[in-house]
Amino acid sequence: MIRARPLFIWLARIAVAAVFLGACIAKIRDPEAFALATHRYRLLPGELVNAVAILLPWLELTCGVALLAGPRRARAAAAFLLAGMLLVFTGAISLNLLRGIEASCGCFTTRADAAVSDGWNLLRNGALIWLSAMIFLNAWRAPARSKTS
Amino acid sequence: MNPAGSRLPLRQAAQLALDSTILLAIAGLLGGLVNTLRPEATRLPWVSDWDRHIETLAFRAGIPVTFLQGARQRVGDVATAILDARSADEYAAGHLPRALSLPVAEADRRILDYAHRLTPDTPILVYCGGADCDDALELAKRLREFGFRDLTLYPGGLAEWRDYGGDVLAGAPP
Repeated sequence: MIRARPLFIWLARIAVAAVFLGACIAKIRDPEAFALATHRYRLLPGELVNAVAILLPWLELTCGVALLAGPRRARAAAAFLLAGMLLVFTGAISLNLLRGIEASCGCFTTRADAAVSDGWNLLRNGALIWLSAMIFLNAWRAPARSKTS
Repeated sequence: MNPAGSRLPLRQAAQLALDSTILLAIAGLLGGLVNTLRPEATRLPWVSDWDRHIETLAFRAGIPVTFLQGARQRVGDVATAILDARSADEYAAGHLPRALSLPVAEADRRILDYAHRLTPDTPILVYCGGADCDDALELAKRLREFGFRDLTLYPGGLAEWRDYGGDVLAGAPP
């Protein structure tokens, strides 16, 4: 019989990895457009916008691959980093909404006709943060469990 | 108290910090390498002058900015006036639906032509050729001096509108 928790963690890893692997494609393909999307948050100093646009998609890719195919320690680190990134993204989108900036989140596409950010983005990020936290805790607690068993 | 038990989280935290750093380093190396190997046309410089970007200038001037979806919404809303800040010739060659021509250089004189259509509270969308022109921002600032309060800049302008399949009308201003 398949145990529910390992199956849930497996599905969570696949779901979160798929989201981030899907999200990085458009950003890697068009770094200039992603830099503009990053700039539209108006949170970073201008000097850092391009560096973030160059590096962030590759961090998403690296963490996505580690989450899907990495050993336990790599999965824990990837889930930790992804949860951290999601918290930052969620804060940035919330600020945009509060300031009335009609920008798209730049999450999955850098096209100009992407949908404008709304509460749905926050809900989705909340779910992803929860899944990432579950994956992290599962990987983090594994050695403790093995020592006590 | 269990010293062995309290050491485990500390050791794990150190491992987590190390593993996270390794992932960050891999991502940094990949990002830097791929950006360096890109064709020059698509390579992004590590630093650009975003402080002079039109959207930054608008933000600093206190002029709200909207993007393609917002521009589409406003073009479809008859209560919003659409103002084209380019020259009359450029307007005649192609402009957004419902747009009125108000070249920034002639704004002081031509604004009277629209006095019957515009009130200080009329929502106004201003645009020009695209992200590399500042006529629309200059027009928005001038309109604000005239007393218009509900101004929005569309920095994508005609270029982005056209690129994404928006209707473009031709014809001289009335």
